[in-house]
Amino acid sequence: MTAGGYFGRALIVDVTGRAATGTPLDLDERVRRAYLGGVGLGTWLLHRLAPAGADPLAPAAPLAFVFSPLVGTPLTTSAKFAVVAKSPLTGLLTDALASSQFAISGKLTGHDAIVIRGRADELSVVLVDSDGVRLEPAPELAGLPAAEAETTARERFGRGWRTAAIGPAGERQVRYATISHDGRHAGRGGLGAVLGAKNIKAVLVRAGTKVAVADQAGVLAAARDLRGRSFGPATAKYRELGTLANLLAFNAVSTLPTRNFTAATFEAAPRLAAEELHEMRGVARNSCASCSIGCEHIYSRKGGGSQRMEYENVFALGPLCGVSDPDDVFAASARCDELGIDTISAGGTIAWAMECVERGLIDAPWLRFGDGAALLRALDAIGAREPGLGELLAQGSRHAAAVVGHDSIDFAPQVKGLELPGYEPRSLQAMALGLAVNSRGADHNRSGAYEADLSGELDRLAGGAAHVAAAIGTEDRAAVMDSMILCKFLRGVFTEPFDEWAALLAAVTGWDVDAAELRAVARRIVLAKRVFNLREGATAADDRLPARMLSTPLALGSGRVAALTAERLQSMVDGYYAARGLDAAGRPRPADLAGLLIDG
Amino acid sequence: MARVSISDGAAAGIVLAGGRSSRMGEPKAALEWHGSTLLHRTAALLGRTVDGPVVVVRAPGQELPALPAGVEVVEDPVEGLGPMQGIATGLATVAARAPIAFVCSTDMPFLHPAFVQRVLRVLADLDPAVDVVLPVARGFPQPLAAGYRTALAELVAKLVADGQLRPAMLFKQCRVARPDDAELLTDAPLARLDPDLDSLVNVNAPEDYAAARRRPAPQITVQRYGALASGGHHGPQAVRAGTLAAAAAATGLVLDRHVVAALNGDQISRDPALPLVAGDVVAFLSADAGG
Repeated sequence: MTAGGYFGRALIVDVTGRAATGTPLDLDERVRRAYLGGVGLGTWLLHRLAPAGADPLAPAAPLAFVFSPLVGTPLTTSAKFAVVAKSPLTGLLTDALASSQFAISGKLTGHDAIVIRGRADELSVVLVDSDGVRLEPAPELAGLPAAEAETTARERFGRGWRTAAIGPAGERQVRYATISHDGRHAGRGGLGAVLGAKNIKAVLVRAGTKVAVADQAGVLAAARDLRGRSFGPATAKYRELGTLANLLAFNAVSTLPTRNFTAATFEAAPRLAAEELHEMRGVARNSCASCSIGCEHIYSRKGGGSQRMEYENVFALGPLCGVSDPDDVFAASARCDELGIDTISAGGTIAWAMECVERGLIDAPWLRFGDGAALLRALDAIGAREPGLGELLAQGSRHAAAVVGHDSIDFAPQVKGLELPGYEPRSLQAMALGLAVNSRGADHNRSGAYEADLSGELDRLAGGAAHVAAAIGTEDRAAVMDSMILCKFLRGVFTEPFDEWAALLAAVTGWDVDAAELRAVARRIVLAKRVFNLREGATAADDRLPARMLSTPLALGSGRVAALTAERLQSMVDGYYAARGLDAAGRPRPADLAGLLIDG
Repeated sequence: MARVSISDGAAAGIVLAGGRSSRMGEPKAALEWHGSTLLHRTAALLGRTVDGPVVVVRAPGQELPALPAGVEVVEDPVEGLGPMQGIATGLATVAARAPIAFVCSTDMPFLHPAFVQRVLRVLADLDPAVDVVLPVARGFPQPLAAGYRTALAELVAKLVADGQLRPAMLFKQCRVARPDDAELLTDAPLARLDPDLDSLVNVNAPEDYAAARRRPAPQITVQRYGALASGGHHGPQAVRAGTLAAAAAATGLVLDRHVVAALNGDQISRDPALPLVAGDVVAFLSADAGG
C-alpha cells in the first residue's frame, strides 16, 4: 500500500496459451502524480508496454483496464474505469471510459490497472482477485451478448465477481466492437475487438482488499458537498431528460448531423426528441454506480421491453441514417448492445454506405436513408461479418472507403478512422478543431469544444484564435477529468475546476497538489497521447476533417451559410500546434519529451 | 435572421453618434431604450446583422454611453461638419475590412435587421459601378439609412475638405440606386417583418421619443428546450420583448450561467441587452448543451 488512493502497482496478465500469468508492474509516485490514473495512466502504460508498430489485434498488443485514485471513495461519479489500447479502427491510441461496479471491484483486487496481453488458445475468461489471476476456458459463452455472458459467468463463478465482456462482434473482431459491464460500454475505438483477438470473452474481477484515503474526513466532506451540487441546475438536463435532450436543441441551432452530414437539421427530430419520448415512453431513470445524478433514461419499446437511449445512439441510428421512427431507432440501439458495437461508428459507417448506395458505389439497393429495417439488416450483417457488405462495413468507414474508392473517403464521416459524433463541425467550429486534432480521432468526450461554440462567447461559424484557445481549454479539462476520473456531466458544478479538482485529489492522496500542477498534468497527458500516435505513424495530415466538411458549405435553418474551409481549419490547427508548443508538423520539441517519463 | 455577408468580403455597420441633438434637448445617443440606450441598441442591432466590423463615429471628445462588446469607436477629426464628416470617418475606418457598409444615425429605435439586410443585399447584388443604395422611402431620401461602398471614403473626405458637406453633393458624383418603398418591400422578409418601413422612423424631438416609447415591445417567439421546458413549457410561445433578458423573463427564465439563447437558430448569446425585433425566434437552451 502506498499513499491514499493507490496501490502503486499494475498487474500485467499474459493469457498466452492455456494459463494466465500475472506480473506486477510498479507504479511509482512520480508516474502516478504525472498521469493520475484512468486515461492518463493508461497512456503511460501503453507507452511502456505496447511494442512500437504492433498490430492492435496481435497477441503482443496490450489492453489496459485502468482505475483511478478516486475509485472506491464516496465521491459521486467516481466508479469509473478506462480501457486503453491501440485501436484497430484508427491504428492509434484509443481510450474509453465506463462506469460501473467493475471499477470498484477491479481496483480492489489490489491494482491500479490490469493489463491483458497475449492470446489464449481457446475462448476464455480471465479472473483476477487479490489472490491472483487465472484463465478459464469458456466455450459456453461463445456468441452471447455481453449482458448474457455476464449472467452466465456469474452463475458459473459466483456472485462476487464483476464481469466486463464482449459481444459476438468483439469475438469476430469488428473494428468498433465494445467492452461492456452492466449495460455500460467502453465504446469507442474497437476495444472489444482487441479483447476478442486475445480470445478473451470476459474479464472478471473480485474485490478482496481496501484502499485508504489520506484524509478520510476531508473526503467525506467533499463527497457530501459534491453530491449536494450534483442535484443543482448544472445537472438538471441530465437528471430530467438525459443526454437525449441535446437532440431537439441541436436541431434548433442547426448542428444535428443528418443523412451522413448532408444537412444539420432533421425534419423528424421532434419524433425522436427526449421531450416527446419522456412523456410518451419514459419508464425509468437509472444511475451508474456511485453516481447521484442519474442520467440514464429508459424508454418502453413497442411490443414490449425497454431500452436506454442516449443522444449519441439516437443521433447516429436516427437522423444520421435518416431514420425517424423511434421504434426503429430503439431496435437498432438494442441490436448494437446485443452485438457489442459502438453505436456512433455503426451509424456513421452505415450512413456512409447509404450514401454510397445513392451514388451507385455500393450495390445494395435495399440500404436506403430512412429505412429502419435496412438499418437493422445492416447491423446484423456487420455483427456477423457476413461476406460482402457485412465484412466491408465491419471495418469502419475509413477502411471501407479505401475498398470502395471513387473518392468515397471524402464523405466518410471520420477523423483518423473514428466516426464523427453528433456535432456538426461546420456550425461548431471550435469543435471542428477539437475533432481534427484529438488523439482518439473524431471524439466529443476528449475534446468538448462544443461548449465554447454554444456559450455565446465566440462566433461558432467563424473559427479563429478564440476557438483554438477554447479547444485547448476543453481538451485539458477533459484530460484531468478522464484521469482522476470524474464524470463530465459534473463539469458544470465546478466554478474553479482545476482548484477544486486539486483539492479533491489532495484529500484522497495526501499530495500537496494545486491547480497549476493539474494543468501541467493535463498538458502532459495530451502530449503523451500525441507522442504515442506519432510513434505509431500519425502525421499532421491526420489532424484533418473529411473533405466534405471543408468543401461543402452548409445551409443553416436560419438561412446563414456555415462554411469551414481547409484554409480556416489549417489556420486553427497551426494555432493549436503553436499553443501546444509543437512544431509546424505537430511534433513536440525534444526537450518536452523528458517530462513524459516514457523512456525506460 | 441570418447575418449579412457577401461573396467577396464582409459588410460593415457604421453608426453616426455625433450631432447636436438640439431639438431633443439632450444627447439622443444616451436616451433610454429597453434598459440600455438608443446608441447601444443601434450598435448591437448592427452587430447581430452584419458579419464585418461595427463602428460608432463620435464627435471630438463626445461622451458615449456603454456600448456592446466588440463595437469600435472612432472620432471625427473636426467637430460640426455634419454627417458627411462622419460618413468619411466611418468608411475610412472599415474600408480595409469590408467592401460595403450600412450607415445609419443613432436615433432609429425601430431599425430592423431585415431593412439593413435588404439595403446591403441590393448593394452587393448590383453592378460594382453602383456606389450607393439610397432608399427614398417614407417620403424622403434616407442617406443615414443607406448602403455605401467603402471605397468612397476618399471621395467623401475630399468633398468634406472642399466644404461640400451635404450628402447630395456626394450623390452627384457617384452612381446611386434609389429604391423606393415599393421596391424595398418586394423583399419578402422585409415586407413581412417591417411592412410600414418603421425602420426609418427617427426621433428628433421629445414628443417623437415619447411616442416611440408608447409603442409596444416587438412581438417575438420564444421556445424552451430540454430541462428548461420541464413543467409544461414545451412548444413556441409568443411574447413581447425588446431584449433577450425581457424575453427570458417573459417566459419565466433567468439568464444565468445555466442558460443560453439561440437567436433565430443561429447566433448563440447570453447577453441580456441583445436587442430583439419583430419576428425573432429565441430558443432557450441549457448552457451544458452537449455531453
